[in-house]
Formats: sequence, structure tokens, C-alpha cells
Amino acid sequence: MGFVAKRFGLFVAALFGLSILVFVALRILPGDVAAVMAGTNATAARIAALRTQMGLDRPLIVQYGDWLAGLLHGDLGMSAISGKSVASQVGARAAVTFPLIVLSLIIALLIGLPLGCAAVITRNTRLRGLFHALAIVGGAVPALWSGLLLILLFSRGSGLLPVLPSQGFPNNGWANFGRAAASLVLPALATGITAGAGIMRYTRAALGDAAQSQAVAMAMACGMTRRQALLRVGLRLSLPQLVSVAGLTFAQMVTGVMVVENLFALPGLGAMLVTDVGNRDLIAVQSELFLLAAFFLLLGLVVDMAHRVLDPRLKNASIGSGEVL
Amino acid sequence: MTTSNGAYGNADATTAEKRNMEGTANEAGVASTDESLNARIKTPKSKRPNTWVIIVAVVAVIAIIVGVVAVVNGRNAKQSASNNDTVTIGLKLAPPSLDIRHQSGSAIEQVLIGNVYEGLLSRDSDNAVQPGLAKSWDISKDGKTYTFHLNRNMTFSNGDKLDADDVAWSINQLKEKQYYNANQVESLTKAEAVDANTVRLTLSAPDSNLLWYLTGRPGLVFDKDATYNAKTQAVGSGPYTVESFDSASKMVLKANPNYWGAAHKPATQHVIIDFITDDNAAVNALKSGDVDVLSPVNATLAKSLDPKTYKVSTADGSDKFVLAFNCANSKLKDKRVRQAIRYGINHKEIIASRGGVDAALGGPIPSVDPGYEDLTDLYPYDLDKAKQLMGEAGYSTGKPLKLTLTYANTYGTELGDQLKSQLAKIGIDLNINYVEFSTWLQDVHTNGDYELSLVDHAESHDFYKWTTPDYYFHYDNETVQSLYAKALAATSEKDSAEYLKQAARTVSEDAPADWLFAYRVTVAYNRNIKGFPSKLSQTVLPLWQISKAE
Repeated sequence: MGFVAKRFGLFVAALFGLSILVFVALRILPGDVAAVMAGTNATAARIAALRTQMGLDRPLIVQYGDWLAGLLHGDLGMSAISGKSVASQVGARAAVTFPLIVLSLIIALLIGLPLGCAAVITRNTRLRGLFHALAIVGGAVPALWSGLLLILLFSRGSGLLPVLPSQGFPNNGWANFGRAAASLVLPALATGITAGAGIMRYTRAALGDAAQSQAVAMAMACGMTRRQALLRVGLRLSLPQLVSVAGLTFAQMVTGVMVVENLFALPGLGAMLVTDVGNRDLIAVQSELFLLAAFFLLLGLVVDMAHRVLDPRLKNASIGSGEVL
Repeated sequence: MTTSNGAYGNADATTAEKRNMEGTANEAGVASTDESLNARIKTPKSKRPNTWVIIVAVVAVIAIIVGVVAVVNGRNAKQSASNNDTVTIGLKLAPPSLDIRHQSGSAIEQVLIGNVYEGLLSRDSDNAVQPGLAKSWDISKDGKTYTFHLNRNMTFSNGDKLDADDVAWSINQLKEKQYYNANQVESLTKAEAVDANTVRLTLSAPDSNLLWYLTGRPGLVFDKDATYNAKTQAVGSGPYTVESFDSASKMVLKANPNYWGAAHKPATQHVIIDFITDDNAAVNALKSGDVDVLSPVNATLAKSLDPKTYKVSTADGSDKFVLAFNCANSKLKDKRVRQAIRYGINHKEIIASRGGVDAALGGPIPSVDPGYEDLTDLYPYDLDKAKQLMGEAGYSTGKPLKLTLTYANTYGTELGDQLKSQLAKIGIDLNINYVEFSTWLQDVHTNGDYELSLVDHAESHDFYKWTTPDYYFHYDNETVQSLYAKALAATSEKDSAEYLKQAARTVSEDAPADWLFAYRVTVAYNRNIKGFPSKLSQTVLPLWQISKAE
């Protein structure tokens, strides 16, 4: 319990620090939302009037106080450009990005885990070489390129085997579950392959280390075959590491799927951030970044907890020893 | 005194067990000749299923998933294909919000004007002024009083009546709150409702552009009694209403059941506008039938479209790619340098590299605007002349002039690279500062802090930028200003155009900028679509006339 409370305290402190960091970092950017809204025909007076109207001419500390007070009340603010609440905007985008990330991660794990294990288990040097090559090539393939290839192969309309939609998200979103899910398959494959190769490398390394460990030797001494020892004892030993890697991969994908979202014309979180930063819609951007950062921190928290569950040896360890994120 | 069965057991047995642990080939097999040891070997609890069975199962599951998805998609595709009360249009640029009174950009005008909001006047695909909410108008002899006669029985989409009060209120609000483009109608002093169907506008000075500007944002009429969030909702008098809008993906428009105008009744009940930024993605969407129309389409990619199924056409527009020279900058104050740059740029090469559809442009007025004439022969591509001018100014390839070009990353890096290599030949070392659009707005447009800048000035009728010295061009020429004033004051269109022509020629000769090319928009649509405008669809997109054949 003590660990959970301490870890949570750390989480809250980090969130507060983050809010300052995000706020300050964004004010360094040149340009502002008033100039963007006013466009290329605007006079200086017009831009100044818009700035006043949007409250951009108030002192920064007041603006920060306003924002923080809103956050404490659970109010993320409004986008100055679109006029929608940040919460609804993020919600709508997350409904595309998160299913996409989860699907990509499942594909990545389905590819990475078995191949990584197989690469350690096999004793055939040629097969090992093949796995090695797969890991390197798979990891080197940019998701943009594999995405284009997948479009050429499977997209409805222009593909060789036209089975899946490759453009956009259905008009009514998840109300049409089949279409919505189908539109995520190709993009998820594109990111899943690259991430899968990464997970495969990590699995191979972690299991390879475990294979050298005395625990595996002990298991074999007790009569398990090498394969049994690796899969039952070795894999369990490397599980905390793999959970961290899966957590990191998940976090990376939030921005990593951006390129693919763009290619498949999916309205996701990445596109939203790029547009909002481009428009200098700073109230929206700072709340969005804050949410994302809070999500990463939460992910770290979950990974830490998972470590404790998976590795009984950490039960008495203090904060700092088992953290990965 | 050694015994063969000591404390460490049979030597043979240890090796046998080790072999057994590592051996994967015969896990369950007998590894030792010693029966007591064999009895202790752990055998796998269950028999491992055959690897081939697993592979076959996995393949079967994947095949089933793909099959089901394909069937579901096929059904959906058929449904949408047979749906001819919906037309889907793919656009590249999305309006950031629906707030047409505050938000800049041509995307918002293209989508909303004439479709959701209507103006006092409208504009056709030849860029000419046509009646709108007003069916006719009179102009006083001195050109300072405009009287508009409105159509009768007009309503907004919420059912409210639209009359002269709404018109006068909208225009007075524009002036008072300085809404977007209010500066275009500076000479307009007030609007008043004479009676329910007549509006009178009073000007401080004649303005030959006024009618045209009233076809755009300054002429839009809003409901003075309605309250709504103008960023996310729209209450207008047009043939369509906005059902939903997300600037990242799409806008869904629905025919307005209360539409007053019998002549512009929508041919299609639903129009979906998909915003697709990626050029490849857009073409894929057209090919797969997800969109029926693409405007614009990348000219090079459009060549891959089958002409039997798709109609591809290109038309002149008002987009001018302006390479502006900061006339207030010490290096560019020297006219010879500015002229040398213009002689040194190979426009043909630039246009060819972009797919060969854009048009050369020699001056500030595009071909769709009054006052246009072909000025490309003023500064033809002439390396020798350019080098000579640079030499007179004191520069050469050995001692180059260092200049920085600042432009927004929305235009692609190729343009900057081309200019860099072309200008290197005449002794200019061009440094490319490739920035975000908002940074460009801040540094170049607002602060005027730049040497060379490149941007697409998309608006029509925007010659006034060359007569406003505090605009970021910093171009200050009294001859041009007085010619433009005469053009505005002229009461005949012909005279006005003549003055504009002279002004444009003077500007071009002065070389405060180079006009790299006039961007010509290519559109592509499925041949079952009728009524898509062949010209100026980037600014005037009358959706009511677009329909889809069975």
C-alpha cells in the first residue's frame, strides 16, 4: 500500500511540473493564434483586436492561473479556433487513435513474441540468421512505406487484392462497427509490422539473457527440456522487461501512428496536434499535451504495478528500483 | 578401493540425463539404459499438437476474417454506390471552423458562401457579379449611393424571416466589429433599410470594386435575431445546412428544407465534403469510390486516372505564387538586384517540374481579374542580362550576394531548392528558411522581417496589397497608388480595367516581386457526376447544381 501511495504522490507532482513545462515551452513558439485567424489580408490593428478578444494580451501568469484552475475543475478549456471543448475534440480523435494503437500492439505482439522466442529456442544457425535478418529488416521498414505497399496490395479500389478500405474513417464512426474496424486493419498492420520487429528483438535479447541465467539451468537440472525451461521459466523471468517494452511501444505509438494516420486519412490524435500547433491554438495544444503526458505517466504507473505483480522479488524494493518509465 | 556405484552415482547416468535435457528430438524417448533413472524422467504432460495443425488453423482463421471483412465491405460499397442522393467531394484544405466572420482562409469561403450563407450578391464561375439576395440594384451617378432591391419572402434555415433589416444589420456589424475583409469595403460608411425589401449603402468615395467585394464575405447576410456558436454551427439562408463538421475529416451538408430560392433548389439531398490533405490518399479515395470529386487533385497523379471513368480538367484561377522582395531591405532596395532575380528565374522549368499545368504570370493581376494583361515578356529568362545587372550592383558568382528566402512548409521544399540552384548561377547565395505557416505569418506578414518570401496569394481582386505601403511587401509607389485610386473612382468598368492595367504594368516593371506562376487548379470527378463547376471551384463551389446519375 505504501508503495502505491508514494507512487501516486510522485504521479501528481509530475503532473504539476508538466503543466508548467508544457505552458512555458509553448509560449516560446513564434506566432500566435490571432495572426493565424486573421490570415494574410489582416492589418496590424485587426490582429491586435483579436488578441484582446481572445485574452492573449493578459500577463502569462494570469493565463497560466486560469488554465490551471480549469484543470483542477476538470475543465480542459476550449479551442480558440474550432470553438469546441478540448475534451470533446480529444475524445473524438482518441476514438480512432486508441483502437488503432491497441490493434497495432496486438499485431506487434503476435508477430514479435513468437518470433523472438523462436529465435532463442532454435539451435539451427541458419534459422537464427534468418530470424536475425527478419528483426533487422522488419525494424528498418518505415511504416509509411509498408503502408503504401499495403495500399497497393489490399486497398479497395486500387489494390491487387481489393478487400479493405484504405481511406478515411466511416462517416458515422463506430456506429458502423464492421466498417470502422475494417478501416483500421491496414494502418494497424503497417505500424504493427515495424513495432513487431522491435518487440521481437527485445524478446530475443530478454529471453537470451534468461537462457544464460541459473534459473533456467536449474529448471533443466530438474528435468525440463531446454524448450520447456525457456518457455516456462525463462519467459517468466523476462516478462517484466517485456511488459515495459510493450508499455513503451504503446506510448511511442501515440505519436508514431501519426504518419500512418496521415497516409490512411484517419482523423487521429497526431493530426490534431499538428494542426493545433500549426494554428498556434495554444490553449488546445497545452491541454492536449497535458492529457497525453498524463496518459504516459499513468502508463508508467501501470507498468510499475505490473512489475510488482509479475516479480515477487520487488515486493520489498523501494521506489526507483523497479521503474522503467 | 573404488566402487562403481559411489556417492555421485553412475557416471554414465549423468551424461545420459544431460543429453536428454538438451535433446529436443526425442524428448519422450528412452535416454538411459538405467531403468531407475528412466523412471524419473519427466515426460510432457500432454502430447504437443502437431505444428502443421497450428499453422493450418491460423491460416484458416485469417482466411475467415479476411473473407468476412471482404463480404461486409462489398455490401457497404454497394450500398454507398447505389446511394445517389449523396455526393461526396474531396477537398484538400479544411476550414478550421465555421466562423466566417473571423476565420481567415479561402477554404471557409469555398464551402460556406452560396451554400450555407448567402450574400447580397453572388459570383459565377467566370468571376462575374450576379444577383444574390438582391435581385437588382441601382448606382447613383456619383457612384456613392447603391440601392439594392431584395427578393421577397426570404427565410433563414431556422425559419426566421430575412429582410432589409438583417442586411443592413449585417453590413453595419461588419464595419463596427471589423470582421474579416471589412478592410475591403473601407469606403462604405453605412447601410440602411429603406423599407422591408430595399437597402441603401452609402460610400465616402466611389469604389468600382464594391459590387465584387459584396459577393464575398463583406456582403454576407446573417440572422440578427439568432444566437448560436458561430464556430461550430451555421444559420444562413443558403440551400444547404451544416449537419456536422469536423475539420480533420469531413463536413456533412443537408438540403435546407426551408430554402427560399426556387431557382437554386438542391439537386442532391446530402453533400459530404471529405478533407484529405495527402495527395496520394486523395487519389486512392477517388479510385475506390469513397469520394466522387477531387478538387484539387495533384496534376501528376491525375494522369493515372482512367479517362473513361473520370473527367479531369484544369482551369485558370486567382492563385498567384508571389516571390516577394522586401523593398525596405537594404540589399533589395537596389532595383538592379530585383530585376536580376526576375531575369534569372527560369519559370518554364519550375512550371514543368510541377506537372506542366500552371501558367506563367508576369504581374500582380491574375487572368480571371479585370485589368489582366500578359506581362511575361517584361522579364523573360535571360541569364546574361541577369549576370550583367548583378555585376553592376557589385556581385558575381565569385562574390555572391547572400539572401534568405522565408516560406511556409505547406508548399514543399522543391520550390526553394529550385530557386536556390537557379539563382546560384547569377551570383546569389540563397539560404532557405523553411518555416511553419504561423511562423511565416509572424515573421514576414506581421513583422515584415524578411528578405525574400514566397506565398500563394489566392484572393481575387487583391491589387490593393500593392498600394498599401505597410503591407508586408513594403512597396510604396505613388504612381501606382494614384492609378489604383483612379481605377476605383472610375464609373465605367472599361476605364477601371484600363487604369488597373497601367498600375499592374508599373508594379511589374518596378520588380518588387517575381510572380513564379499562376497556380491552375486541376479537378477530377467521376463521369456520373453532373454540374461540377469547371472553373474557379476553389472559391465558388455552388453545390446545389451538383448531382449524381444512377
